[in-house]
Amino acid sequence: MSRVASDTVGNGALVPFSEDTKDSLAVYPLHHGLAPPISRIAISWARGNSLRVSLFATPSSEPSRTPQDQSGGKVLEVKLGVGDPEISDSRWRQIAYGSVAPFALLQSRRSALSEMIKSSSPYQMDWWENVLEYSKDITSLLSGPKLPPGPIIEERTDIVKKREEPTCLKAAWELLEIFYADKQSQAWLPEKLVDWLADYDSLFSSTHETVYGKLARFQKELVDIQVLEDDPRYWEVMSSALSVGWLDIVVKMLRLHGSYQLDQLSNRELENGLVEAVAVLISKMPRLCHESTNGKLGELFKSKPDFIKAWEKWRSQITKLDCSPFWIQCGNHHTREGLRNLLQIMLGNTESLCMATCYWIELYISHFLYIRPFTTGIESMYNLAQKCIQLKPPSSNHKLTGLIVGILEENTEVVLAESSREFGPWMVAHAIELLTAGSEQAEIVLHDERYNLGGISMIELHRLVYAQVLSSHALTWQIAPIYLTSCMKQGMGLLENLLYRQSIQHNDLLLKNIEICRLYELDHISSDIMKVAGVYHWKHGHKGAGVYWLQQSKDTSRLNRIAQQLFDSVGKSISDESFKQWEGLIELLGSESKPAGGLEFLHKYRDFKRSLQQVYGGKATDAARQAVGSLILLMKNPSTPQRFWLPLLYDSLKLFNWHECPLLNVSETNLLLNKLQELSWARLHPHFSEPNLPAEALSSIRLALATNLGRAILDE
Amino acid sequence: MAATAMLESERPVIHRLPQHKYIDAVRWLPPLSTFDRFAVLAAFDTDSGSSSIEIHSLNPNPLSLQPHSSFSSSSRVSSLRASQFLQKTVVAASTAAGSLHILFSDPADATFESEVSMPEEEGLHSVPGSCVDLMDGGVECVTVGEDGRVNLVSIGNSNLSRDRLFDSGGLVSYTAAKWASPMEFATGGYGFSLQWWDKRKPGGPVSQFKANWDQKFTAGIVHSIDIHPSRKHTCLAGGSLGTVFAWDLRWQQQPIILSGAEVQSISESEVWEVQYDRCIKSSATSTRILPAMICSEDGILAVIEQGEEPIELLAEPCAINGFDIDRHNPSDVICSLEWEAVAILTRR
Amino acid sequence: MAKELLILDNGTTCSCWNYCGARLAAGSADGTVSIFDFCDSASSSSLRSSFKFKAHEGNVVKVVWVPPEYGDAVASVSADGVVSLWEEVAQDSQPTQWKFCKSFGSSSSKVLDVQFGTSLNSLKMVVACSDGHVRVYELLDPLELRNWQLQAEFQNVIESVSAFGKALCFSASISWNPQKGGSQESSFLIGFNSNTSELNSSKVWEFDQAHQRWLPVAELALPEEKGDRVYAAAWAPNIGRPYETIAVATQKGLSIWHLGLNPDHNGTLPVERVALLPGHEGMVWQMEWDMSGMTLATTGHDGMVRLWQSNLNGIWHQQAVMEPTA
Repeated sequence: MSRVASDTVGNGALVPFSEDTKDSLAVYPLHHGLAPPISRIAISWARGNSLRVSLFATPSSEPSRTPQDQSGGKVLEVKLGVGDPEISDSRWRQIAYGSVAPFALLQSRRSALSEMIKSSSPYQMDWWENVLEYSKDITSLLSGPKLPPGPIIEERTDIVKKREEPTCLKAAWELLEIFYADKQSQAWLPEKLVDWLADYDSLFSSTHETVYGKLARFQKELVDIQVLEDDPRYWEVMSSALSVGWLDIVVKMLRLHGSYQLDQLSNRELENGLVEAVAVLISKMPRLCHESTNGKLGELFKSKPDFIKAWEKWRSQITKLDCSPFWIQCGNHHTREGLRNLLQIMLGNTESLCMATCYWIELYISHFLYIRPFTTGIESMYNLAQKCIQLKPPSSNHKLTGLIVGILEENTEVVLAESSREFGPWMVAHAIELLTAGSEQAEIVLHDERYNLGGISMIELHRLVYAQVLSSHALTWQIAPIYLTSCMKQGMGLLENLLYRQSIQHNDLLLKNIEICRLYELDHISSDIMKVAGVYHWKHGHKGAGVYWLQQSKDTSRLNRIAQQLFDSVGKSISDESFKQWEGLIELLGSESKPAGGLEFLHKYRDFKRSLQQVYGGKATDAARQAVGSLILLMKNPSTPQRFWLPLLYDSLKLFNWHECPLLNVSETNLLLNKLQELSWARLHPHFSEPNLPAEALSSIRLALATNLGRAILDE
Repeated sequence: MAATAMLESERPVIHRLPQHKYIDAVRWLPPLSTFDRFAVLAAFDTDSGSSSIEIHSLNPNPLSLQPHSSFSSSSRVSSLRASQFLQKTVVAASTAAGSLHILFSDPADATFESEVSMPEEEGLHSVPGSCVDLMDGGVECVTVGEDGRVNLVSIGNSNLSRDRLFDSGGLVSYTAAKWASPMEFATGGYGFSLQWWDKRKPGGPVSQFKANWDQKFTAGIVHSIDIHPSRKHTCLAGGSLGTVFAWDLRWQQQPIILSGAEVQSISESEVWEVQYDRCIKSSATSTRILPAMICSEDGILAVIEQGEEPIELLAEPCAINGFDIDRHNPSDVICSLEWEAVAILTRR
Repeated sequence: MAKELLILDNGTTCSCWNYCGARLAAGSADGTVSIFDFCDSASSSSLRSSFKFKAHEGNVVKVVWVPPEYGDAVASVSADGVVSLWEEVAQDSQPTQWKFCKSFGSSSSKVLDVQFGTSLNSLKMVVACSDGHVRVYELLDPLELRNWQLQAEFQNVIESVSAFGKALCFSASISWNPQKGGSQESSFLIGFNSNTSELNSSKVWEFDQAHQRWLPVAELALPEEKGDRVYAAAWAPNIGRPYETIAVATQKGLSIWHLGLNPDHNGTLPVERVALLPGHEGMVWQMEWDMSGMTLATTGHDGMVRLWQSNLNGIWHQQAVMEPTA
């Protein structure tokens, strides 16, 4: 029974890029409108599943006439495997946003649970109740907008109504919920399926004739029909509706029968009695009720024995009516045959059911209603489905049928492959939670780590695939981390790639990106991102922002290079007007406490240069003393890079040679001399870079310091 | 840390309204009549790649936003302000491309009736990122940018005239701006720096704030500034790492930290917007900072007050990128949510 | 499904997207390089031309972006085999512009391919030349794209003693290990399309820190196919698989290789060919892995774009074809 999924469904594709890859390879046209031939193609993956293709035309040597011919190429973007065309892009994003919270809640409950019971599987206890709650959240998310309520006074002839526009996606989800998540529904599978079909039969109308389709058509024609009961369609539509258990519709339609009209009641008394008898029987049909199935016709039973008893009684009533002599007395041929056909349906006449239903699923449902009302367990359900398919071979496949068959044959891989092919990665990534709750065996299949997949499980694989889809869109990529971090093995690797591939040009986006790094402790990635931002701003003339980001990324090697450039610029501009601009940047570099990477000394350097400026400006000894104070601070500070010592000292020559009095005391002079000594050692080092100063700089500093030392000693 | 728990009856009524477009900014419009209420949204449609500034009318029962009037912008809106000037509503928007749009709307029906703009070619700002604040009464705008330019733009009926107050040449970038008076305004930038400007004194800020934060405190970026009309000497700023602080011009280098660092912080991520909360009557004495509302990248909308536990109004699974308190109905707050939606809160 | 982003000028010959897919560089037959940017962030609506500069006298055959940690810069290769490096800068309140940094090339041999990688916190540029030589340059100052030093020069052969005649190479393909290992050592892959069979096969080169030299650590060719000309090679991003995945295209088709992570006693990495796929009926122009390393996109002589994947059973197969149509 079990077939290998990968051989038949979608080639076992990981990412369902093409809608149908069953037999032949999907070929997609890339419309470019260029004059052939194409000389070359270049390809590049953007984030996620988005592929960019550049097509280059053969360069034309002669001037062409139309602008169309002149274009030398096209750049196209192809988004692959995004999903279901039934649903618009913005609706998909809404579903993606909305499913984050239920998914995250379920994951956190799972980890909490596995913390609690480390020893055994987390899927014991009442795990399925969590899954069911999750499933209900998703179902409500998938619900479309409610259709506007109909007129308050219902038309007598309104027979089909819709509460909301059904979608295949929601239908598929509910199906999975019935079979996998809702353990309580296991006992009521047939009843649940009947309800399911009542909600979604209209979906099959896209590929097949359906009971719903018949009803909807008949509804339109209804107003034009003079004598309803003489029209064969009236009876046909009723038998169809009855076959799939839409009791209220059938009863409502029966009451449209001409014999109910007041003027006819007297002469069609018997006929009316038969119609009413059938209507009563229909409305009294015993049904197993799983929950509050309110608003439905039929007699509801909570326990199986009661139901069986009622069922047998009901059947005997039908048989009794069927054998009743009144039929012969009923003059209206149409009414007689129509009603008796309805009875045959209720009696489970295979031929009548086959006639009344349109599509194999409807026939299947009718079996549960009338032939095998006591069916339990999924085993026999698959055989029955096969029988129904044989009786009503489908001319084409609806997107839901593959899924239904896969579920019935209990083949997890087929269910996954069908979900993936028909509904895309969102469906698989989320539905897999239901599947794992379904059975031990499915859980093993899905959690098994496979070498062929690079050592990950199916669950992880499908989350990765979904995360790729999310990554393809500028507004959904931020959701991808939620799914990626639930992937134990490869999620973080993909997340790193995703984060690294975000643009840093806009601060908001950059900060959102860094926030994700912070949440998931990806410090090395945020450091890379900030480095990229720092270099970008630095090179694009936003020096302050550049330095800020490089400081944040603690990139000392680049900051050291920058320090050199700033040192030169600050030194140069200190005298001119533009220095005002530097103030802000230097403020930013700020105090010693922060890892400014060799830049914090600039602050002191600025103070030094400023007092030096005043000295040169002719100000008194006080300014000179202040300058010396700053110089000593600078030279003492370990963060002042060695390569700046010589230029600093050279700048201070005038201070050392101050004519009024020696400005430096003995210990200060000694400090500077020691620094000079250190420098001459350092010059022997191969990596020492010689500052751009006159050749005699060193010796003149040494001389000045020696003179100052002499004077200072005398002073003391 | 846990915010103060609220009684069920005290919880605000929250409406989340999907927009199917990314909302770059939201503001309430000053009321035109007592019956109609309007909000202005800067929206970006990723499917078509188009940006627009839209006036939406607010319909009660059920609460919804109805598109009312729209202006299509050439680039995404980076900041948005609304004010009133001579019976007209003025909306100012700066864009990512560096242009500035001033829209006037008709007082009678709240539709855009005229527009003056300064296109990006005029070089108001070089890309990327700029921020605008519209003076109360709406005759002048200040725009600042990452390029380090500080511009004053005076609004005429048919044209805008620009005056460049300062250009740091990119050495300092500005990320937020707020008027304090018709003559003074404050700006913020990287490293939690704040600057105080007087438009009578061009050539540089008249005062700068760059605190010597202690070791545990990492520097970040200021995203939003607010100044209360009754306390013009105090600058309220919000930025990275859940930091909200106030700078009192009279105590130059000592910030008052309301959130972040060791102080009880309600969020650890970016605080995108701060506004003084005019709804809550503060029990505080005049020396304390007035209560303020913040929104954050990790989805928090909260009211914080010096020395009090923060009150969480909203905790979304996605970022709250901005909000606006209705000045005339301070119990109402409109928020822009990351997931293409707007939330409207009514506090009880 | 396909959306048009840009119409290129007549004479455009090659293009390359930057790391985040926000900028496109395109080279042209007249020696110019154009830079295109998206009008808005977070949208892929349309691109507009923002800069254009003349990088070469002759035809530009390839453009490559420098890793973003080193700025917005591109290297272009001309048909006469010269590499020209340009970067975008805005200095001293000047508007943003593209400036020439450096050019690489020699009269004796043409540059066929160039790729950048980071290893041990410095930027490396690998250049493959028409005489079969591989040159590795190192950037000396992380903020200055003008200062490069030749770090190594070698031939793409396992046995350095093997003698062969003068090599003539038509094309070469270099692919760095995409691992973002800032301070780690990195490795790259190179294969040639030449008249000298020893040079051709794709080999993985790794820097030997102890001896300061590049060493071949793996050869991606079956023993009988070592002389096969290599059209293209691509190293897949590894997001956590216990092996590296590499695609190599030769005249026999596309091969998918698994490269082990742990070297044997000789320092060689184990290799295994896991698939041989039909390819493009001849020359393969380009192969690109998506960011998860699960899907390979290829394009080549038959003018198609093909996507390849492994299924759940580890069988590689063609997943989709895109056919350009007017």
